[in-house]
Formats: sequence, structure tokens, C-alpha cells
Amino acid sequence: MSSSVFLSGAGIAALVLAGAVAVATANRDRQELATAEAAIGAVHAERDVLRAKVSELQETVQEHAALEERIRELEAALQDRDAASQTAEDAAEDSEDDPATVLAGIGDAENGKTLFRQCSGCHEIGAGAENGVGPHLNLLFGRKAASIDGYRYSDSLMRAATNGLEWHADTLSDYIADPRTFASGTRMSYAGMKDDADRRDLLAFLRIYSDNPADIPEADPTAVGTDHSVDPEILAIAGDAEYGEYLSSECTTCHQASGSDDGIPSIVLWPEEDFVTAMHAYKEKVRPNPVMQLIAGRLSNEEIAALAAYFKDLEE
Amino acid sequence: MKLNRRSFVGAIAASTLAAPMVRAGGHGTPRVVVVGGGAGGATAARYIAKDSKGAIDVTLIEPTRTYYTCFFSNLYLGGFKQMDDLGHSYGNLASAYGINVVHDWAVGVDRDAKTVTLAGGGTVPYDKLILSPGIDFVDGSVPGWDLSSQNAMPHAYKAGSQTELLKAQLMAMPEGGVYAMVAPPNPYRCPPGPYERVSMVAHYLKQNNPTAKILIADPKPKFSKQGLFEEGWEKHYGGMIERIGPDFGGENTSVDPAAMTVDIDGDVNKVDVCNVIPAMKAGRIAEIAGVTDGNWAPVNAVDMSTKADPDVYVLGDASQQGDMPKSGFSANSQAKVCANAVRGALTDSRVFPAKFSNTCWSLIDTNDGVKVGATYEATDEKIAKVDGFVSQTGESAELRKATYEESEGWYSGITADMFG
Ligand SMILES: Cc1cc2nc3c(=O)[nH]c(=O)nc-3n(C[C@H](O)[C@H](O)[C@H](O)COP(=O)(O)OP(=O)(O)OC[C@H]3O[C@@H](n4cnc5c(N)ncnc54)[C@H](O)[C@@H]3O)c2cc1C
Repeated sequence: MSSSVFLSGAGIAALVLAGAVAVATANRDRQELATAEAAIGAVHAERDVLRAKVSELQETVQEHAALEERIRELEAALQDRDAASQTAEDAAEDSEDDPATVLAGIGDAENGKTLFRQCSGCHEIGAGAENGVGPHLNLLFGRKAASIDGYRYSDSLMRAATNGLEWHADTLSDYIADPRTFASGTRMSYAGMKDDADRRDLLAFLRIYSDNPADIPEADPTAVGTDHSVDPEILAIAGDAEYGEYLSSECTTCHQASGSDDGIPSIVLWPEEDFVTAMHAYKEKVRPNPVMQLIAGRLSNEEIAALAAYFKDLEE
Repeated sequence: MKLNRRSFVGAIAASTLAAPMVRAGGHGTPRVVVVGGGAGGATAARYIAKDSKGAIDVTLIEPTRTYYTCFFSNLYLGGFKQMDDLGHSYGNLASAYGINVVHDWAVGVDRDAKTVTLAGGGTVPYDKLILSPGIDFVDGSVPGWDLSSQNAMPHAYKAGSQTELLKAQLMAMPEGGVYAMVAPPNPYRCPPGPYERVSMVAHYLKQNNPTAKILIADPKPKFSKQGLFEEGWEKHYGGMIERIGPDFGGENTSVDPAAMTVDIDGDVNKVDVCNVIPAMKAGRIAEIAGVTDGNWAPVNAVDMSTKADPDVYVLGDASQQGDMPKSGFSANSQAKVCANAVRGALTDSRVFPAKFSNTCWSLIDTNDGVKVGATYEATDEKIAKVDGFVSQTGESAELRKATYEESEGWYSGITADMFG
């Protein structure tokens, strides 16, 4: 703009130069065109890059959505699992009230033994059984889930245990039927035993190695020392068996020295640690029977150790 | 002489002798005589014989050859047990534990000569005498009733033929008839016993004679496990049971065995069965031995020795010990404390601190069991309660069933503990 003002001020020179100017203008236009074309090319290139980025981003977003969906799924699964273990807990409570519901689940141990071949690749059971790929299955009934020292359980099972999952006929049956539904993160890579009758038979076999929970509601949870939360110092006390013999006379009014367990569980030949643990569970009122809470409640740690030392070898 | 003997024993205990010591008054093996082979006596005899392994000579004097437990005898009335289920023989105590079982009555005790006289004529010497004779009845406690009326109006509070008689009378009741019970005043054996009996009689009647009624004349304002029984009676036997307590003259009751009437505070009832459970006192032999004060024999809580004589012990129902109820469980618990102390006094065996406990189960109806229990310790004055519990009203049917099953386990346990 300022140059045209200048030209109008220069008169003739403007006329003389008009042709040259026109050429120059044309040149400049070409240059500009080229520049513009170059710019457009650059923009296009940039657009392509951006497009690539966008599609890349879109993919990422899709991935995110998928991940979110997966997370939702996992959360739902977790909730189901919690609900399942809650149900299991309720069922365990119910079944404590009604032994029939537990015992109804018991079938043919002979067939169960055959079925156990599906399990024996990972699980040992019986005398000398040890943890392998899976934990050993002795004293399984009445045991807290994920409770065998020295076996690494999935977090999934550990959490279920924290929520109170215990292995009884009903919870075991649900678990074996479909391990992943029951505990989605379980390491037990077993598809599940779908047939009810088969599961009952298998359970009947497993139950043989569970300290014979007898036909009484008390025996299943109490006949095995399940929670080893007793202070190791207490467990370490060496019992005075002779004192234990005297103290035992208070027990034998109800618990038979012969080990019979009709209506009142047997307390002879228990491993000392289990005995001590069980008595402390009564002392702390963790276990429910009020007679036992009273009796254990006033026994000192030494007296409990004395009783454990006496009963561990008692054979009539 | 007793003082001398005690200081003699004290001196021995203080000295340090390596060889097992036996403290018998001038003769070989020390001798323990137990009178009464019931919950207290059989347990004491068995534990002393078992634990001393022949170091103490144990004689058990008991007139009957078969001991019928009072515990569970109500369940026999209800039809849950047979009479044979309740009978236990002394054979095993003799053969497996070497106890001299003498089937006779003890009729005299000479505490200076330390001998027991038998109805059959002989005398049995002792170093330590343990009396566990159970109960006898207080004459005149129910006007109109005495022992000679027990066939017309049975007590069935000593098990055996009395229990069978009461059952027979129950079964013979006319349709819609009345079963009366005159309940005892405190203290008496088995505090829940009369009320468990009412439950079992009601159970029988509900099945066989549902329009019949049960009438209880009771001198006590309250009774053991009352809330639980009353809840159960309402639930299972609504309208069948009427209890007249002292607020309505229940303590002012007399009977006429010939007319089969019960007079409750002037209101005369004609009844078909009359189960009179009179006031109780220690079995006669405790009184004969001169160790009673009033109706019962006061004892020291640490070892159940009598206040009257350190060499005479009284167990179970006959003793006046403090807070424990008169029950088979209590008698058995006391027997074991006593056995440990007696053995320690006669040989060099270790004596451990006294610990007592009791649980009484009662059956209200099929699979409806309840329980009450406590732990006890020895104080200078008495056996003192430490802690206790009782079943709650409104418990689940499952818990009640488990409680009943527990009582069956207990029955097997205690009878094995008594008779081996
Ligand atoms: C209906 C009923 C239900 C009961 N239910 C229960 C229950 O569920 N749980 C419970 O714990 N308790 C129960 N009891 C109470 C229990 O039976 C007594 O508390 C217990 O038997 C007391 O034991 P003891 O050794 O003092 O007397 P007992 O067991 O009565 O034994 C006394 C023995 O001494 C013998 N004897 C007596 N005098 C002499 C003598 N002069 N010479 C030689 N021998 C003699 C008798 O023949 C008898 O065998 C019940 C009682 C009754 C009546």
C-alpha cells in the first residue's frame, strides 16, 4: 500500500516501469503460488500426521474402553465372589444350625476315590501327604480356607478366607463344581466337576481324612484346631502331664477317656498344638459352646498345656 | 489322738523321704472305706483305686447290686429311655480296679475306733472314710405323707422301683385325669429335676392322654431354669400344666394318700397320681456318723473333709459345701477333688488345687434340651461359684437339639467316669 502511494508520486517513471512491474508481478504471483502450494503441501502432510495421530488416539481410546469394560467385569466378578463367600459363610452358619444340610451332601467314598484321580496330579491326601502343586487335603473339613502354612494361595482365596470362608460340605461342593465362579482368581486350574452325585462321592472320600466329623454339628468345626492364632510362647509351654491327669478328671465327666464321641466330641490323642489352640479359642470365647467357655475360661496357660500333654498320649 | 495324728502326718510331709511313703496307722496298706456307690462314692472309689495303683486298699459299701441313675430317670418317664439304660453294675469296679465291693448297708460308724459297722454284722476298719449316701426325706415335711405312703404317693426321687411305680401310675391314669406333684423346698437334689419331670410327664400325656392335667403345688417362689421351662411348657404343652406357688398357698400343702387328695391352702383336689417330693436331708448314715449339723454335713471346700472330723469326708447331696447344686455332676466333681486329697494324705502323691464344675441338662420335649452350669473354687468358707451360664429362651431348634445330644454324651461320660 505505501509503495502505490509512492508510485503515484513518481508519475512518468511509473508508466515506464509498468511493463516491468507487470512481469515482476507475474513472477511474484508465481512465487507466491509456489509458496502457497508448498504451504498447502506442508499442511497436508501435517494433516496426514494428525490423522495418523487421531486414528492412533482412537485406537488408544478404544483400548481404554475395552480396559474399562474389563475392569468392570473384574469388579463384578469380585463382587460375585464376595457374595459367594458370604453365601458360603451364611450357608456354613445355617449348616451349623442344621447338620442335616451338611450331611445330606455325603455320598459314596469308594466312587469318590476313583474320582479323586482327577485331583491327585496336584493334591496329596492321606498319611504323609504334603503340599504339591496344590495344598494337601488332610483335615480339610472344618478348616479355614487358605490356611495351610507354607502353601502359597491365590489372593482370591486368601480374601475369601478373610471374609470367613471355611471348608464344609456345602462350600467345598460349590468350589469343586466351578472353581472360577467361586473364586475367580484361584490358581486351581480345574474346569469343575459338574455332576452333583460325583461331587458328593468325592466329598465323601475327602471327608475320610478330616478327623471324622461324625454326626454331630459340634465335631466338624471343633474337632480340629483350625485357627492357629495362639501366641507361639503359649504354644511352646511344656505341659506337666501329671497335673494334666488330675485336671483331666474335670473333662472326663463329659468327654470319655475311651475317645467315644456321641454328642460330646472326643478329646483324646489330639496333637498338643491343636488342643491348646482349641482351648484358647474357648477361653477367648471364639468358639461358642458355653460349657467349654466356662471350663477353659478359668484354666491358666500352664493348665491348658498340662491337659494337652496328658491327652495327647491317652489311650484306654 | 486326732491332733497327734495330724501333727504326725505334718511332720512326715515336711521331711524329705525319697521312697514312696505310705501313711497307715500301724498296719500295711492304708485303707479307704467309701459308703454309697452313687455319683459321689463310685467316682471316689474308682479314682483312688485307679490312681493309687494298689497303694491304697479301697472298700465300697453299697447295698444295691445295680445302681439306677436318678439322672435320666425323668427321660424314662417320658419314654425316651428304658429302665435298663439307667442301670449300672459294680462288677467292673471290682474286677478292673480291685475295689472290694461289699453289698450291704452301713449302719454304724465308730470314729474313735475308725470302723464302719455293716447291717450284716461285720465291721470294716478305715484310715479315711468317705460318705456319699445321697439323700433321705425330712419326716413331716408334707403333712399326711410319710415313707409308708410311698407306694400310694411315690417320690421317685431315688431311682429304681419308685420310678417304675410312678411310670405305671402315669400310664394307668384315666382319660383326662390329674397328675399332681408336690414340689420340694430348697435345698434338694437336682434343682431342675421336678420341672424336667413335669415336662416329661406332659410329653407322655400329650401323646397318650392329651386331656389330662398336671397340677404342681410348690413351696418355692422361683425355681431353676424357670423361664426356660415355662416357655417350653407354653410352647409344647399349652394349657396342660398349672403351678401353684407360695403366692397362692403352694407352700401350705398336705396330702391324704388313702383318699388320693391334695389340699393346697384349703382347696382340696382329687387326683389320680400324686408324686410327693418331700423336703430332703443327708442320707441317714451321715447323721449316724455324727458329722451333720442340722440336715446336712458341713465340709471343708479344699478336700470335702467334714468340719467334724478330718478323716471323714462327705460328698455329693449329703454335704453342705456352699454354692454347688446337689447334682450327680457336682457329686462326681467333688469326688475327684476328694480322691486327689485323700490319696495325697495317705501316700506321697501330689495334691493339686481343688477345681469344681457342674452342668445340668434338662429335656423339655423331644430334642428340646436346655442346660445350666457353673465353675466353682474352694475358699476358706465354702465352695464358691466363679462363673456360670444358662441356656436362653428363644434359642433355635437346632441348638436345643444339639444341647440334648450333648446331654446324652454327658450321660455316657459320667457313667463311664463312675463305673469305669
Ligand atoms: C429325677 C432326678 C433327676 C436328676 N437329674 C440329674 C441330672 O440330669 N444331672 C445331674 O447331675 N444330677 C441329676 N440328679 C441328681 C443326682 O441323681 C444326685 O445329685 C446324685 O445322684 C448325688 O450323688 P450322691 O453320691 O450324693 O448320691 P447317690 O447317687 O444317690 O448315691 C447314694 C448311694 O448311697 C447308697 N447308700 C445310702 N445309704 C447307705 C448306707 N447306709 N450304706 C451303704 N450305702 C448307702 C445308696 O444306695 C446309693 O446308691 C437327678 C436326681 C433326680 C432325683
